[in-house]
Amino acid sequence: MIRVKNIRKVYPNGFVALDGIDLHISRNEFVYLVGQSGAGKSTLLNMLYKAETPTSGDIYIDNISLGSLSPKQIPYLRRSIGVIFQDYKLLPRRTVYENVAFALRVMHFSRSRIRRQVTQVLELVGLQQKMHHYPSELSGGEQQRICIARAIVNNPPVLLADEPTGSLDPDTSWEIMQLLSKINARQTTVIVATHNKAIVDDIRKRVVAVENGRIIRDEQLGLYNP
Amino acid sequence: MIRDFLFFTSEALISIRRSGIIMIISVATITVSLAVFGIFLLISANISNLTNYFSSKLEIRVYLKDSTRPEEIDALKLRFEAMPAVRKVEFIDKATAWEEFKKNYPKIELNTLVADNPLPNAFRIILSDSAKITSIADHLKGFEAVEDVGDMGAIADRITAFSRYTRIAGIILVSLLTFATLLIIVNTIRLTVIARQDEITIMQLVGATVSFIRWPFIIEGLLIGIMGSILAIIFLIFAYSFFVLRFQENIPFFPLVYDHLTLNLIYLVILLVGTSLGVFGAYLSVSRTVKNNY
Repeated sequence: MIRVKNIRKVYPNGFVALDGIDLHISRNEFVYLVGQSGAGKSTLLNMLYKAETPTSGDIYIDNISLGSLSPKQIPYLRRSIGVIFQDYKLLPRRTVYENVAFALRVMHFSRSRIRRQVTQVLELVGLQQKMHHYPSELSGGEQQRICIARAIVNNPPVLLADEPTGSLDPDTSWEIMQLLSKINARQTTVIVATHNKAIVDDIRKRVVAVENGRIIRDEQLGLYNP
Repeated sequence: MIRDFLFFTSEALISIRRSGIIMIISVATITVSLAVFGIFLLISANISNLTNYFSSKLEIRVYLKDSTRPEEIDALKLRFEAMPAVRKVEFIDKATAWEEFKKNYPKIELNTLVADNPLPNAFRIILSDSAKITSIADHLKGFEAVEDVGDMGAIADRITAFSRYTRIAGIILVSLLTFATLLIIVNTIRLTVIARQDEITIMQLVGATVSFIRWPFIIEGLLIGIMGSILAIIFLIFAYSFFVLRFQENIPFFPLVYDHLTLNLIYLVILLVGTSLGVFGAYLSVSRTVKNNY
């Protein structure tokens, strides 16, 4: 479903973030991208929803080349990929409900359908009691769950998570990862970039290790360290 | 379509309500700059009104030879009326002129001084363009039946020069001020957009199209523009009528602009400038912000 072909990314300052990345991810897979900060995990994730473009190489999702997408088509790509951001990226002046509903509004869903789906997903992430709060009134774990709710509310086939537990305590991290497993079980391909060793070693999945812009290891049911 | 429009409008209203102080500041900035712009429009309208007023008081007197026959006079009147830049031709026969003269100077015992009416038949010619007064007067002197031509050439030249310079100065200043107003309003709107650059980025990341992001901002720009314009117009209406009142108390015959047509036109211009710049500013700044994220 996702094919990354010989990706290279060089930043204007000369730093080589990714170098010769080849990766194949099947439908409904759960993949950990592991590696140290600055290894290139986030860059790779960003390229999957075209927040960044590779210097050379290309990515195919369902055989569609991302390199050939025009700016006008990018919003439609992004609607089929839910993204969980490390810094949540919530709209500060909108309530929890409005933040989640926004992802459906951009798709021109009807008001009643939006209400139904948002209520459902907020129940799934356990935030139905706080839907009229503003993000700033909630804890980090709760904000992360709003972000997850927004990413999955339109049932995208792919879910990307960039350090979803990066700023959370161990218990909350555990809950979030359980949630991601649950979403994966609902026919969603999930890719998680993380350096949370405990989680990777505990919830065993495919592990792709990145170091200095290259893939150094790719194993099913792997551990954080070889 | 209608659902989208309602949604965009409600988004704009929510955003205005929730952005608080920055919204108040931008409306106030737009109000002040439009008020300054409006004051200037009013001043230049008054100056041009003043020069028009003086120009319209300018006239040429054409004195005819006593030998001119009535049918010749009628023919002359038609010819004068047909001349370009002539607005009105009025015949004053010598008897009427004499009566008027005597009425104007009742203290002088004219009948004892002159036995007969010494005044000639005359035309009073009012021009539509006072700049041509000298050339037309010269032309009139060439007619067979014309004894003499009295014009106000020297004054006319001065008024013409004055009005030309004030018009040029007015155009320069109004365009500078328009430009300044444009910059101020567009930048003010830009600040409200830049303050929400992060929001725009987030919207783009969750799959919003450019037009979906842009519309609420454009409606918001429109509303800010309308609010700023209306406040500026309210201020100008009150300030100007107060000013006119004070002025008339002191210099009653001074020709100020107070016909509703001109004033309403000025207020309309302010409304149009305010709203269109609000929309334009929003469009421009959102487009610029949006482009960075693709």
